[in-house]
Amino acid sequence: MKSKGIRKVLADNAGFFFILPWLIGFILFKVYPFASSLYYSFTNYDLFNGISKTGMMNYNKIFTDSDIKKAFFVTFKYAIFDVPLKLMFALFIAYILNFKLKGVNFFRTAYYVPSILGGSIAIAILWRAVFNTDGLINAVLGVFGVEKINWMASGGGALTVIVLLRVWQFGSAMVIFLAALKGVSEDLYEAASIDGAGKWTQFFKITVPLITPVIFYNLITQLCQAFQEFNGPFLVTKGGPNGATTLISILIYNNAFLRHKMGMASAQAWILFLIVMTFTVVAFVSQKKWVYYSDEDGR
Amino acid sequence: MKKIKQWAAMGLATAMAVSLSACGGGKSTSETAASTAAETTSAAASEATTEATTSGEPVELKFSWWGGDSRHAATEEAIKAFEAKYPNIKVTPEYGAWTGWEEKQSLNILGGNAADVMQINWNWIESYSQGGTAFANLEDYSDVLDLKQFTPESLDLCKVDNKLMAVPISLTGRVFYWNKTAFEEVGCDIPTDLDSLYAAGAAFKAKDPDMYPLALGEYDRMILMVYYLESKYGKNWVEGGEVNYTEDEVKDGMDFITELETKHVIPTLATIQGDMADSLDKNAKWIDGKYAGIFEWDSSASKFMAALEGSVNKPGQKFVVGEFVKMGDNNGGFTKISMAYAVAGNSKHPKEAAMLINFLLNDEEGVKIVSTERGIPCSTEGLKILEANKLGDPLTIEANTKVMNYSKFNLDSKFEHNDLKANPDGVYYKVFGKLSTGEIDSKQAASELIKGITETLES
Repeated sequence: MKSKGIRKVLADNAGFFFILPWLIGFILFKVYPFASSLYYSFTNYDLFNGISKTGMMNYNKIFTDSDIKKAFFVTFKYAIFDVPLKLMFALFIAYILNFKLKGVNFFRTAYYVPSILGGSIAIAILWRAVFNTDGLINAVLGVFGVEKINWMASGGGALTVIVLLRVWQFGSAMVIFLAALKGVSEDLYEAASIDGAGKWTQFFKITVPLITPVIFYNLITQLCQAFQEFNGPFLVTKGGPNGATTLISILIYNNAFLRHKMGMASAQAWILFLIVMTFTVVAFVSQKKWVYYSDEDGR
Repeated sequence: MKKIKQWAAMGLATAMAVSLSACGGGKSTSETAASTAAETTSAAASEATTEATTSGEPVELKFSWWGGDSRHAATEEAIKAFEAKYPNIKVTPEYGAWTGWEEKQSLNILGGNAADVMQINWNWIESYSQGGTAFANLEDYSDVLDLKQFTPESLDLCKVDNKLMAVPISLTGRVFYWNKTAFEEVGCDIPTDLDSLYAAGAAFKAKDPDMYPLALGEYDRMILMVYYLESKYGKNWVEGGEVNYTEDEVKDGMDFITELETKHVIPTLATIQGDMADSLDKNAKWIDGKYAGIFEWDSSASKFMAALEGSVNKPGQKFVVGEFVKMGDNNGGFTKISMAYAVAGNSKHPKEAAMLINFLLNDEEGVKIVSTERGIPCSTEGLKILEANKLGDPLTIEANTKVMNYSKFNLDSKFEHNDLKANPDGVYYKVFGKLSTGEIDSKQAASELIKGITETLES
């Protein structure tokens, strides 16, 4: 009788037991750190000295320290330039690679390769070789009589260097766009061309509206990644010159792992999270106006 | 339903944002030993005996250090010799480059996973000793570790709560080094005082605007400024836990650094950063003689020399140790313990770990193998062995002798605190970065520097 009851409980909750391993992992490695970091953000938690003070001191410092505010501003600037540039570039290349060209598979692979390389040391060395004052870019410019550019002489130049590094790694967004472009029916283009629509009109009036869900998806993922960017500035510019490429992730890293000030690092991470969250919410709310889901009443 | 879907999607996106990791998976820098034992070591192995200082039971030790290739090779060889002398002790090395090393080791110390024997930076004693518990009290093992070979003053610098947390390996200080070939090419003398330093700036500029007699990063600027102030005012930088200089005096130091830039003695920080080199010794302009001088620790200069001598574009350049550039009535500069050996507080074999330290610092065989890979030894016996056998890098010996005879000021243990010297958000980096770009003037820089240091000293 008892074993029958247990079997029934097991049968009724089979789904729950299937997801239990994931659930345990999620609670232990996501929910717990998430909640504890919120608590730590209101303390002066130091890995070596523990907690001796609680309160708003970390948040007060974040909102009053000009260098921390600058890091948030630089992160914001980085994301604002990086995300649209990357999406436009990925869409542009995907659009070209969607044509029936000779050797198109080779080009698709070639354009995807930089994404696989990621933010590695090798790429940092490559980027430095390209952008240093005696580097490849200046050598090419020199052929045309253009004076050497010190990319690190200004904040804008240095930020451009690390933005271009991520834009160059557009492969994953490109592949997703390519899949979406393949899903657009040829009939629509055919009908449009009969009506006299040119390639640009077709692109903006047919292609873009039909792939807006994918643009939306790429926008959200790229936004999240851009705000959390670390490798590029850490490896290539080391946050310089004069803090011009010091993204907030570098401050979080230094506070957490170099100074062991987990309280401050948690507070900075939470502010970053809220910023990403805000942008995500804005994107979701605004999608009513620009994202077209063809399976839901024409929307 | 649509709303639920949208909110569910938003929830998933949030979870995704939380889950995304900014950092790529790190690779362990530790490596297991590659055997490069000397023939003498294997010969010694056959005669090895287990000394009475160990129980004879098999013991496994872990030994961690950072450094360059030559230090790795010498230390591995020394380990082989140690294992040959004490066959019951097996030592597993764990080593890597400096970049990221402190982050990894500090977390190891905190998590109780530190190696039994650690090469540590002097400021780690204060930062990571956790009130004297993270490292073993080495006075407890003075029967196997000969502490009489070290001056009481140097040992006192390694104590916390009256416990000896580490033994000093070597003392170091900053010295001027020059590319003699570049100076000859420009046709000016190697600087010995401020006037000749400024004259060199003008001469280098006249020869080639891309050439500079000296190159200094942010932290180098801080050390040179302190050297200048000590030379001029004759006071320690920090005294009694406070900055020992007035804001006007520090402003004078900041003006000095700015003057070095304006007189073409040093490139601006933007120029150095534009070279996009990992460090100055890897900078093509240093390697090819465009930057002709450095102000560097005597224990670190060999890599600059190797880089210069390895130049493909400009072979045959000569790297020399300079005289101290006179900047006032006093001999500026400080010396510090460059590094030390410590034993983990939770080591299961602290006695054997102390024996390994003794072997590396005081034992003839160990000292001969390691030589000056970690600078000129603090150990009297170690130094005697090197001198008797005419061992060690002559350049390191020359530079160390000069700095030890010249620089007499004290260094505060928090001078190298990560709140101050971390890149890019340490106080030194921020202040000198802003000063170089003109974002702040020398008065503001002085005020910001004193404020930042005071906060660190009080923390």
